[in-house]
Amino acid sequence: MKPHAHTLDVIKLNIALPNGRRLLRDVSLTLEPGEVRALVGESGAGKSMIGKSVLGILPPNVTITEGEILLEGQHLNMMTPATRRKTVAQSAALIPQDPLTALNPVRKIGPQIVDPLVRIQGWSRSDAEARALDLLDRVHIRDPKRVMGSYPHELSGGMRQRVLIAAAFAPSPRLIVADEPTTALDVTVQKQILRLIRELQQETGTAVLFVTHDMGVVAKISQKVTVLFAGKVMEDAPTPEVFTNPRHPYTRALIAATPSYADLDRPFSPVPAALIKDLHARIAQDDMLYTGGRR
Amino acid sequence: MLLKTVLTRLATTLVTLFGVAVVVFTLVRVAPGNPIAMMLPPGATEEDIANLTRLYGFDKSLPEQFAIWLSGVVQGDFGTSITLRQPVMELVLGRLPATLELSIMALVIAVTLGGLVAVIGARKRGTGTEVGLDLTNGAVLSVPDFLWGLIFVLLFGVLWPVLSISGRVDPRLDIDFTSNFYVIEGLLRGRFDVVGSTLSHMLMPAMSLALPLAAMIAQLLKQSLKEVLHLDYTTLARVRGFSETAVILREALRNAALPTLTLVGVQFTFLIGGTVIVERIFAYEGLGNMAIDAVINRDLPLIQGIVILFAALFIVINLLVDLSYTLLNPRLRHG
Ligand SMILES: Nc1ncnc2c1ncn2[C@@H]1O[C@H](COP(=O)(O)OP(=O)(O)OP(=O)(O)O)[C@@H](O)[C@H]1O
Ligand SMILES: [Mg+2]
Repeated sequence: MKPHAHTLDVIKLNIALPNGRRLLRDVSLTLEPGEVRALVGESGAGKSMIGKSVLGILPPNVTITEGEILLEGQHLNMMTPATRRKTVAQSAALIPQDPLTALNPVRKIGPQIVDPLVRIQGWSRSDAEARALDLLDRVHIRDPKRVMGSYPHELSGGMRQRVLIAAAFAPSPRLIVADEPTTALDVTVQKQILRLIRELQQETGTAVLFVTHDMGVVAKISQKVTVLFAGKVMEDAPTPEVFTNPRHPYTRALIAATPSYADLDRPFSPVPAALIKDLHARIAQDDMLYTGGRR
Repeated sequence: MLLKTVLTRLATTLVTLFGVAVVVFTLVRVAPGNPIAMMLPPGATEEDIANLTRLYGFDKSLPEQFAIWLSGVVQGDFGTSITLRQPVMELVLGRLPATLELSIMALVIAVTLGGLVAVIGARKRGTGTEVGLDLTNGAVLSVPDFLWGLIFVLLFGVLWPVLSISGRVDPRLDIDFTSNFYVIEGLLRGRFDVVGSTLSHMLMPAMSLALPLAAMIAQLLKQSLKEVLHLDYTTLARVRGFSETAVILREALRNAALPTLTLVGVQFTFLIGGTVIVERIFAYEGLGNMAIDAVINRDLPLIQGIVILFAALFIVINLLVDLSYTLLNPRLRHG
């Protein structure tokens, strides 16, 4: 494996449904080691699709029509499915959106963290168990031993998300995809979980692709931002710059649409319908020129 | 809590068995056909008939007969078979092992075959293989067990005679077992000649009973598997590097198994019911075959004994199904 500066390169990625509907349009982004990139955009913009393309878990009816995905310099879409699966498992992990459905209800917590380490990463069982205990401790779970022996239904939503964060960090991945990891949680728990992810991310130097639609979260956690609209990148810039000097009108509208806790008097303004209409019209024009990867 | 459950369960079991006893007892007596007349040679006198009727207590009123029979039953005495002149209990328990071994073998075949087809179908979901398996399942399901029996007799008994088509074991074998569980005791004693012969006799009747159930299991389990394979924890397992087959076997199967377990529980009782005809087709010396003889001969005590035993068997099976639920689903274990 040749050394590569980037943890993740997505290059001109296009995915589509069988009927030709495009879900991602020439999406490019990079993540450097230890970097957190926020992926923002309204619901349906295709944020999750980017994460799923990288991890190889696209729905069966969605296909990559064009583009490259490089994980630590390795071309994922040139690999056989089995090799791809192993490569992704070696270098990447997922923190899912809904902790209630992301744990197997009939299996204890312990094996759900330990098994992948033993069976996929090739660790010894005792090493894997020690690692699981250590990580459960680091996600601030009291009594990790007892939790390892519990079933998911015995834990609260916040506890389960901590478990899933521990499981994601356990194999020391170079990249973590966090797909709206706090949306399904209570507001009070959201902040704790966010802080926890940032804490572990900084300790381990893992790159994180952080999917969210909350500009407030973007400001707190990320160094870079990709703004997505209808499967197309509107803006890609360092986080501070996006807030001080947003270049794209859609980014400006998104920031304006975010309710600010610091400044409650500032009027809340939704993204203008005229702007959305205009953007859609331009994208439709682009699509007419698109050759669908057949050149 | 647990004690209360057990006691309730026991009480309902006794009530059920009592109900079954009343119904069977009445039915066999109001049905046409006189057991005494069947026993006597042609030309017996009125007096002979009256004597025998008195001997078996058929001259008393129905409630009286029932009370006498029931007081015997609670002491473990189910009366004497009219045709075979042996205690019903002995006869029935002598045949039970044959039927149990046959049903269990059929169940094992059905679960293995059905489970295998379900896993393959789920693994190949959305492909031609899945469609092919679905079509085969439908075809298998539309043929009832006794017809499978006849088809097997034709195929492997007549056209390509490789399997024995009648009996339970090669009669030339010298079997001095203490029980009639030929397979189990044969294995324990290391008498593999007996085990082999019994299994080869059981194969066709067991397959006949198993195939329709296997098709049902395959269909339902595949459907449940496909539903589970959409869920987040299976996606997460894929991200963690598990192959699709591993995801199915390790993450999905136990979660998908519950509906199938209910089906198997219900259908297993039907399967045991199916042994009656299938045992007849293959002249297999089990309870079902004995039941048909008992009905033909109006052997009332024997019919009653067999029916009560079948009822008890069904109740035990339902109990086992309920227990395995708790094992499969940790949420049911507490509270
Ligand atoms: N299985 C699927 N089949 C067909 N279309 C799909 C499927 N899943 C998602 N889509 C479509 O793909 C587009 C992008 O979906 P995606 O889930 O990536 O959005 P998102 O940006 O993550 O939105 P959200 O904030 O709601 O999670 C949407 O328009 C959605 O309708
Ligand atoms: Mg999403």
